[in-house]
Amino acid sequence: MTERDCSAALARLYEFLDHELADADADEIRAHLDACEPCLDAFGVEEHIRARVKRCCGASRAPETLRVRVTQVTTMTVIVRES
Amino acid sequence: MTIPAADEDVVDLATETDAERATRFERDAMVFLDQLYGAALRMTRNPADAEDLVQDTYVKAFASFHQFTPGTNLKAWLYRILTNSYINTYRKRQRQPQTSGGDSIEDWQLARAEAHSSDGLRTAEMDALDRMPDSAVTGAMNSLSPDFRLAVYLADVEGFSYKEIAEIMGTPIGTVMSRLNRGRNQLRTSLADYAKEHGLGRRGGDDD
Repeated sequence: MTERDCSAALARLYEFLDHELADADADEIRAHLDACEPCLDAFGVEEHIRARVKRCCGASRAPETLRVRVTQVTTMTVIVRES
Repeated sequence: MTIPAADEDVVDLATETDAERATRFERDAMVFLDQLYGAALRMTRNPADAEDLVQDTYVKAFASFHQFTPGTNLKAWLYRILTNSYINTYRKRQRQPQTSGGDSIEDWQLARAEAHSSDGLRTAEMDALDRMPDSAVTGAMNSLSPDFRLAVYLADVEGFSYKEIAEIMGTPIGTVMSRLNRGRNQLRTSLADYAKEHGLGRRGGDDD
């Protein structure tokens, strides 16, 4: 395992985890990760961070008042148009 | 080759009445309310502005719903309107300082290529991340510049592809990648700093 392989894998870490690499390129990364524990660790940390960010920043629930306001958007517009 | 859509998806825009369009809008667009609110909250960083932004988005979306092609990506279309509304009104009002420097791809490629750097979070420090309060993570996210924050949110929380983010943000894919990489790198640095400052995840025997 050369440092050059690691650099190449780490440079494409985000694209790999974003599923934005072509199959052949992704396979190359997988092969590298099978053989290189430090890189596997780095990829694991990255996945872990993403999961945490998603947990903290996602799953917001719109307040009921907003739900009501937004529902009125269509009814009010229809009334205006039909009158 | 696209398979003909189910009955409910066949819409004749020319003959559709206002009432029918309203019903279709309610059926198809309202399901994204929570998600759009989450994104708006991340953009504006304040619940009152987020509510107004989402309301504006739905008003604009409904007003131009006849221009939306049924069967295409409604979620991305709504996010596009949300993003434009944010940029055109709220962001100007909030007067965020813009980040300096261009979105050059070379920057992050060089930064990333430093193999196994010890500056970020290591595996040994992963449990530091688990022990951080949620507010530390959202705080780190909120400290990113608006463009970086939105790109990271759309990718990591919403799972949009680079192409979809490019459409939503109205930028080339290269810019999306640059924003994502720089935003994520900054986010990780803030999280690592937080862990250090609060004595989380220190490995046994280190320093003292």
